Amino acid sequence: MLLKTKIPSLTTRVIQFNSNFHTSTTRLEIQKMTRLRVVDNSEIGKRAMAEGKPPKCIHVYNKTGVGKIGDKVLVAIKGEKKKGILVGLKQNQQPKVPKFDSNNLVLIDDNGTPLGTRIHVPIPTILRTILKEKTFSKGADYTKLLAIATRFV
Amino acid sequence: MIVSTISRRCILRKQTSGILRVSSIRQLTSNTKSTKENIPTKFSLAEYRHVYPEFIPDPNVEFRNPIREKLERLDMLSRRAHIDIPEFYVGSILAVTSMDKHSPNKTNKFVGICIKREGCGLRAKFILRNVIDHQGVEVLYEMYDPVLSKIEVLRLEKRLDDELFYLRDALPEYSTFDSNMEPEIHPEGAPIPINPIKVKLKPRPWLERWERKDLKGIEQIDLPERFFIRAKELATPWEKYDMMKQYMKTIPEEEQTEIFAEIQQQLQQLELTRKKLKRKRTFIKPVKLA
Amino acid sequence: MALISHIIRNTSIKSLEEKFLCLSLQSLNNTQIREKQVAPQPRLRNPTWLTKKNRVIHDDFVTQENREFISEIVQDKYENNTNKNTLPNTVEWTPNMRRTGVIAKKIGVLPLWLNNGKKIQTTLLQVLDNHVIRYYTPEEYESPRERAIKVKNKAPCIIMGAEAVNPTLFTKEYCGLFKDSGVMPKKYLARFFVSSEAALPLGTPVSALHYSVGNYVDVRGKTKYWGFQGVMKRHGFKGMPASHGVTKTHRRGGNIGGGGEKGRVWPGTKMPGHMGNRYRITKGLKIWRINTKYNVLWVSGCAVPGETNSIVYIYDTILPLRKPTKPLPFPTYFDINNQDVPEDIYDDSVHKFDDLTLTFE
Repeated sequence: MLLKTKIPSLTTRVIQFNSNFHTSTTRLEIQKMTRLRVVDNSEIGKRAMAEGKPPKCIHVYNKTGVGKIGDKVLVAIKGEKKKGILVGLKQNQQPKVPKFDSNNLVLIDDNGTPLGTRIHVPIPTILRTILKEKTFSKGADYTKLLAIATRFV
Repeated sequence: MIVSTISRRCILRKQTSGILRVSSIRQLTSNTKSTKENIPTKFSLAEYRHVYPEFIPDPNVEFRNPIREKLERLDMLSRRAHIDIPEFYVGSILAVTSMDKHSPNKTNKFVGICIKREGCGLRAKFILRNVIDHQGVEVLYEMYDPVLSKIEVLRLEKRLDDELFYLRDALPEYSTFDSNMEPEIHPEGAPIPINPIKVKLKPRPWLERWERKDLKGIEQIDLPERFFIRAKELATPWEKYDMMKQYMKTIPEEEQTEIFAEIQQQLQQLELTRKKLKRKRTFIKPVKLA
Repeated sequence: MALISHIIRNTSIKSLEEKFLCLSLQSLNNTQIREKQVAPQPRLRNPTWLTKKNRVIHDDFVTQENREFISEIVQDKYENNTNKNTLPNTVEWTPNMRRTGVIAKKIGVLPLWLNNGKKIQTTLLQVLDNHVIRYYTPEEYESPRERAIKVKNKAPCIIMGAEAVNPTLFTKEYCGLFKDSGVMPKKYLARFFVSSEAALPLGTPVSALHYSVGNYVDVRGKTKYWGFQGVMKRHGFKGMPASHGVTKTHRRGGNIGGGGEKGRVWPGTKMPGHMGNRYRITKGLKIWRINTKYNVLWVSGCAVPGETNSIVYIYDTILPLRKPTKPLPFPTYFDINNQDVPEDIYDDSVHKFDDLTLTFE
């Protein structure tokens, strides 16, 4: 009984939330203030998603300020600042690169080690190449993220 | 004279929704100049425009040139000799295998429902959609991309609409398909079945205002009356009677038959090889599992 | 023969030219001459060889039989002249030599795929039936444009013609231009400066094999005409806000200069005006593929000026870093002993459509 009453209230809350906040639905870009979806099983991410308070992007670590696939972002989550990697976008992609229904994020620490131990959605295969390239140019090792993925598309 | 040709094209346009394969049309095609012996063909000349829509060039007058179109067609045919691009429609379920330099085994297979098919010539492309692990995924493929190694139709059918973008806002079960799905057998010459399924949409917010699109494949939407009043205000029901608009959008029937008569022989050859391959496939013994 | 042509060239055409130049420039000379512009309007400068082209066609009530007879005569006259192709002294090509260009038609944009799986956009240029119409030595050639700075090392030039059409449509003078070369009168003419070694005998055909795959070309064409356009479309200005008290200035340019001593409109200020319809050159386009049957070049990018089915001029590139390394067919490609040329020639990095599906290791 308790469950039954709780679940609809949760969903309505999320919907209200989306309609109140302005999001650029046409271009579906990831920029500052974009709400993201944590797709790993890290404690903080799970709690934030369960409470209906998804993380908010507060910085994109590239020169354009628009997050593309494989980019590192800084997010505000549960009153904390965490870094994460974009692993799936709503925006239109190049041919053969999958486009997702939500903007997916995997939380990492400063060394590139993911906070969770499992990613429960599919991951685009192009991330293998992108993250490898980024690992060589920067100090952190992002390829650890690929190891915890369950499925690639 | 002009009015008659225009009205004829409009009729053509209307026919696209439902195809009827009539044997009399097939007889007509066999009479047309085929230099060699009459190869038994699956499609008539009039049907080719539904089966191979990308062979019809862009009707925009600004971009047309006969030599460019001819070279484009030759390239398409030579690519088709190496990959079997079957007949499919929006609403069919496809499995696309492509070479992928990012994955360790260098191949990638994606199964999904075709929600959009567009472009003509070498630019033809389609979008597949599926829900994997409760996550909606869409992939755009270019039909003549040399990286695609196999396109397989798992279920050949049509839906009530020409575009299925509303599946993005529908409940996930409507776009969930098993990635290990077996291809369903479609008897040759049978009409393409139209799936009359009505999709249930999630509550708003949506990506688009679906109530304004005049969609046939969605269930009754539960919205306040004002949405439908506004949709009625913005509707353009007279547009289907706009002959000039249809005229600008389509290529005349005579030109279409000319194009398909030119490439008919090669297409028939491709169909034959496909048939042979299919027969071969059926004889493969099932692998014993330990 | 040579004497007659010499006389014609020196007398009748010259006088005609002057007349036409007078006619065409008289009306323009009435305009008030102001200060020197930075980007002057292109003035109508007819090339020196140009005469009145199109004949006024009257209804002559010629019977069908006579019409056929005329077309027969035309055929007889030009059929025998086509094989006037003699091999010139072949000189080895060196990087400082300049070959002739060709007249082509832009016929569309198509994708090509490379062997690494990448897709590129290419523009298709169909090389028309080019023939050499006239050759000018530097002393003979008079530029229609009077230059303030005198050009020192003057180069000879070749007049190229393309797209043969029914000569009865043209004036007698225009058809006279093609007398020396013996080819059928052409619809399009173009002048190409060449180095003196690259001189070609009159009537020589030039095909798409004049160019080779992997080399770079410059393409000159007339851009699309947009008419009189505002500042936003013509120069990409941002315009002004749609609201916040802005009235009647949403797509306007705003301020065009200061006051005081500089109280005037500076030359070169970007303002509304005619957009397009100017000749522009896109430089350094790579040739990816050549079709020898239809004489088509696949050239990189979709930024070739002009609409589809418009005429463009192709030159060997002048960009120093994209000069060809291998010797080019010089002065042009000659079909010696009917060589067997494949129908499609591809660059090494391009995936051929006949090839098997791409695989990665």
